[in-house]
Amino acid sequence: MKKYIIDSLKDNKRLSTRELLQIIYDKMAEGYTSFEITASGQHDIGGPLWTQDGSPLEFELKNPGQRAGSMGMPNTKITIDGSAPADVGWLNSGAEIILKGDGGDTTAHCAASGKIYVDGRVGTRSGALMKHDPKYPAPEFWVLKNTGSFSFEFMGGGTAVVCGLDCENFPSVIGSRSCVGMVGGTIYVRGNVCDLSNDVYLVDIDENDKEFLSNGLKEFLEKIERPELYQKLTDFSQWKKIVAKTFEERKANHLIPMKDFRLNRWFKENDGGIFSDVYEDDFKVYSIVNKGTHRLRYPSWDNYTQTAPCESHCPIGIPTQKRINLIKNGKLKEALEMMLDYTPFPACVCGKLCPNLCMEECSRGYVDEPIKFDALGMMSRDVKLPQFATTKDKSVAVIGSGVAGLSAAWMLKKKGYRVTVFEEDKEIGGKLRQVIPYERLSKDCLDAELERIKASGINFSVNTKITKELFENIKNEYNAVIVTCGAHNPVVIPFEGHEKLIKGLDFLKNVKNGIKPNIGEKIVVIGAGNAAMDVIIEAYNCGAKKVTAIDIQKPAAFDKEISHCKALGAEILYPCFTEKVTDKGVLLKDGTLLEADTVIISIGDRPKLDFVESDWLNERGMLKLNEFKQTIDEKVFAAGDVIKQGLFTNAIADGNNAAKNVINLFEGKPLETFEKAPMLPRDKVKTEYYQGLSPLKVQQIDAWDEKERCMSCGLCRDCEMCLEACPEQAISKFVDVNGNVVYTSNEERCIGCGLCAGVCPCGIWQMKDNFENIDDLASI
Amino acid sequence: MAPIDTRVIKTNDVAKNDLKWQIEYNPQRCTLCGKCCAACTFNAIEFKVERRRRVKSTGALPKPSVTWEAEPVVKQIVRKNKNCVGCGMCQKVCPNEAIKPVYNDHNRMDVIYRAENAESPKRGGRTNLHTEGRTLDKIKIGRISQMTDPSLDAMRHTFDVLAPFGRVLPPEKLPFTVDENGNLQMNDKVPNTRWIYPIIIGDMSIGALSTRMWEAVAMAVAYLNEVVGLPVRMCSGEGGMPLKLLKSRYLKYMILQIASGHFGWDRIINAMPEMTEDPAGVLIKIGQGAKPGDGGLLMAKKVVRHIQEIRGVPKSDLLSPPNHQGLYSIEESVQKMFLSMNSAFKFRVPVAIKVAASVTSVSVYNNLLRDPYNIVGGFFLDGIAGGTGAAHEVSLDHTGHPIVSRLRDCYLAAVHQGKQGQIPLWAAGGIGMNGTLAADAFKMICLGANGVFTGKLILQIAGCIGNDYGRCNACNTGLCPVGITTQNKTLVDRLDVDKVAENIVNYFIATDTELKKLLAPIGNSSLPVGRSDALVTVDKNVATRLEIQHVC
Repeated sequence: MKKYIIDSLKDNKRLSTRELLQIIYDKMAEGYTSFEITASGQHDIGGPLWTQDGSPLEFELKNPGQRAGSMGMPNTKITIDGSAPADVGWLNSGAEIILKGDGGDTTAHCAASGKIYVDGRVGTRSGALMKHDPKYPAPEFWVLKNTGSFSFEFMGGGTAVVCGLDCENFPSVIGSRSCVGMVGGTIYVRGNVCDLSNDVYLVDIDENDKEFLSNGLKEFLEKIERPELYQKLTDFSQWKKIVAKTFEERKANHLIPMKDFRLNRWFKENDGGIFSDVYEDDFKVYSIVNKGTHRLRYPSWDNYTQTAPCESHCPIGIPTQKRINLIKNGKLKEALEMMLDYTPFPACVCGKLCPNLCMEECSRGYVDEPIKFDALGMMSRDVKLPQFATTKDKSVAVIGSGVAGLSAAWMLKKKGYRVTVFEEDKEIGGKLRQVIPYERLSKDCLDAELERIKASGINFSVNTKITKELFENIKNEYNAVIVTCGAHNPVVIPFEGHEKLIKGLDFLKNVKNGIKPNIGEKIVVIGAGNAAMDVIIEAYNCGAKKVTAIDIQKPAAFDKEISHCKALGAEILYPCFTEKVTDKGVLLKDGTLLEADTVIISIGDRPKLDFVESDWLNERGMLKLNEFKQTIDEKVFAAGDVIKQGLFTNAIADGNNAAKNVINLFEGKPLETFEKAPMLPRDKVKTEYYQGLSPLKVQQIDAWDEKERCMSCGLCRDCEMCLEACPEQAISKFVDVNGNVVYTSNEERCIGCGLCAGVCPCGIWQMKDNFENIDDLASI
Repeated sequence: MAPIDTRVIKTNDVAKNDLKWQIEYNPQRCTLCGKCCAACTFNAIEFKVERRRRVKSTGALPKPSVTWEAEPVVKQIVRKNKNCVGCGMCQKVCPNEAIKPVYNDHNRMDVIYRAENAESPKRGGRTNLHTEGRTLDKIKIGRISQMTDPSLDAMRHTFDVLAPFGRVLPPEKLPFTVDENGNLQMNDKVPNTRWIYPIIIGDMSIGALSTRMWEAVAMAVAYLNEVVGLPVRMCSGEGGMPLKLLKSRYLKYMILQIASGHFGWDRIINAMPEMTEDPAGVLIKIGQGAKPGDGGLLMAKKVVRHIQEIRGVPKSDLLSPPNHQGLYSIEESVQKMFLSMNSAFKFRVPVAIKVAASVTSVSVYNNLLRDPYNIVGGFFLDGIAGGTGAAHEVSLDHTGHPIVSRLRDCYLAAVHQGKQGQIPLWAAGGIGMNGTLAADAFKMICLGANGVFTGKLILQIAGCIGNDYGRCNACNTGLCPVGITTQNKTLVDRLDVDKVAENIVNYFIATDTELKKLLAPIGNSSLPVGRSDALVTVDKNVATRLEIQHVC
């Protein structure tokens, strides 16, 4: 082996790195394979160099610069006498490097093969990025003492051994924050280690490790000529090794689960949650869609809790939807008789005289035409009932036999009370008989219904004028009295010439009594209410050729009555203000003269109440009444026109209510004011289900076939839409003890979606809020 | 006899096409499972029946046949005031993608609501007006130190990511002398300054948040401190404190807020003898960025029994006065409020003040900087893009001041006096609203903030589906569909307290990594407070106004 000696100082002048390396290249070409170099800080001495024949290369260095032995190749041996600066063995690819002193920073940086022996300590980031290419032997990096901080960063392979000699008091033989990003390789350490990165484990060594170290240390110590340390360094109880976590281990989340933290640490400090003293919470998590108590809304089967529009607008409150439901169920008789629970005049009033507010509001009108309530009423005309038995010992006197009085008497008799009706006239019937033209109410019809009333067992005392004395007696004799004497005192306005006026009520009564007064051809009627329309009809019956009705406001008569009169030829004028009545007719304030042979005034009637003491009356001469239509004597009630002129249905409702309150009084129950249940909102009735019929087809339908058209507002029609539609099969139906169908929703299945309410044709299912009002429930 | 049709459609009837959110529904995909309607807390949709009438002629001659069907469908409910807010719960629960809310650009509700209800609309969330774009998004971290300074590695290096809460004295004011042996002697107390994570979770009250949400945040903060090792602090908001937290050792992570309503402070005071830890700090709330000049607002619907207890008030809309009664100037606040709150904890606990950013912020900060008593422990500035649980929409959208330039002005004012860093500056108002809190926080810090605080983002981390484009924002209604801003048990029970806390923790871990990914390139291992040289912008106006480099 030819050895070449280089002194890097020549004539006191330092060779540059390039000049020194050039000498090596030249001498190698001449066949030298061994160099002894006294350097003066020149870099990169030792590699990458090789011989053509593969024979070994040797370098003995003193005082090298950085990167001594860098990129060294197999068969190269570099021995450095004394310490060396940074990067000894940088990118070592196979050389054996023996550093007989300390190394600088980043010693063995990126070493990929070969062996580096350091007889001392090395600086920061040493061993960083060491790696192992399986095509070549793994790199080894032996350090007798310790390394600086940040060593072995991003290490990917090979073996490093840090012997920790004379470092027993150091907190760490590999400094702080070492092994960051280490993914492979093994580091053996003897002595303390601290502040390791999270990428590695520090573990005990096993028998294989011991074998490796036994052999390796022997060789290392021989290389650095410190064999005497062998025994000291092979006390394997002092050794540990550092290995990188696997890819999977690094990925794993090392944080403790939050639930464990909550239960084991958080709750320990606050005994079940920081709000547990004011708010109860089990911390259970509920789904957005839920059942039972955690539904936002829940369905309620509110059958017949809200009134149908027909019932709601009928002053009597006749539930026609129930009537039709009975027909639908084949109970025609019950349906027709049911009407008599509400009124003794289903034909006269519902069928004939009533303007039928029920029909105006009927939901079916939104589909095609309203249900034929009038025809349905007529169906009950000839229903016969057996005489009502007297089952109660209390007696009631009814003063007046008009619709209000007869309704009250009917209701009370039906309930088993003894009832006597006092009537001043020779026959019962009130204005129905005395005033209403036959055109509007046939005698047959009236007689039929009056006969039914007469047959009921009510006592009638006709031709009985009530005087103060009699009234006093009646009050003493009967347990209760209902005053239904009507309004038979026509109102006259005292304008000039008022004495020439004929009073409408008197005129109508005369006509119905068969007296046809001679009224001439031209008639003016002052007033344009329904009574005035009756006057017009009768005026034509008495031979009038031209009738004009005037009013100070829009006529109060119903459209039906007005049309009837207009068809007869009547003219209705408004607003017209009467100045005076003359022999020529009515002179209006604007100077117009309405010529008339006769002027009839029909602007309303007042009650005659001469049978009560004046303290029973208010300042307007009407009965003093409380909210129960009770006079100052608690057993005396009032009903009908005596209170206020209104529709026949108002009178019937009044009569019914007075009767009910009399019964309440008898039974010691609180009196009622008879507020109706609220009306079912329009949009709850699903008109979408119903196909409209043409007016002609509707006309052809018989009244009892109206069951096909009635939409049963607010009353379950048992169609099972809800049952079939429910996505959770929560709805079931059963028949209760009364034989009625009842639907229920099971809260353990129901999610509160509202499909049942959405599809219910009758508006029975209602969605109720399950959560807006339970805010406070959880609070303690 | 035709009935009066109450369903006549009139010009002024509110219709579906007037609404902000329209429900798009496909009956062909719908199986009527009912989940959408069951999930909707706003009761904005319902089942109805639709008719299907088809008229056909078959054969060679006109020969009509009519078919009639009625079909249940989901319909949007149209009202004058309470309508779909676009929360999307229907879409979330629909197994068939049959339903979703779609924003209606042509809606008329801003006009209709006022015209129909004679009422100023209220909502929660942030400003929904996007008139100028976000300043922070126009700024980039442009000074990369790789070539000029020792390089740092976000993964490898340790970083000092800490910000002061409390008064920082300049060196010459520190009460130190050197004794005859050459050792330092401290001759007086120094203000107790806490070094905490530069992001405070801020100012959402008990009452505004559900019990579960508030507890989840508190728990996440404890976890961040004790498991992850990030010293994050949480500010209580103005609705008082849970008694059990006051008595627990976790109190040390809590900043107690006092606002004009002073809600719950009697409980705090009465709990003092039982406190085992000092709170992290006290924050005096003068104003907030979302509705500057306005006090807090908690709608009655959320003032349930336990809130009434903690706050000490009966059920009603709770309006904090716009100012602290008895304080007439910021100078007086310093003297009265700062002294009181410092003395409350015997001068051991730092006290800071929060105000809405305003054109007068610099003057206020200048005054605070004089603080001769060392009792001003921080200046919290809240900008227009801050969030709130309830405010008049006009306040949310039209009052307030963007935070960026105002924060910068305050910092530079301190610099001009040579007093930067003495009274820590904390900034908020839309910080993190683009989803990347670290970037916003970092830029604000470079502009002079010591740290930032954020609230609305925390809700979004927790599962709030509200955004700044009109979605949901119904915190004021008490009907929060995810159980965050409601006191309704049914809805609160939807919230998973562990998942919320975990998400917050995870977000902070990610944010911490991201902060380091920003610190490393500029070569700072501690927070670069005021290092505006690190920032560049392509917007000349932003560059000029903020005194940072203009680049293109």
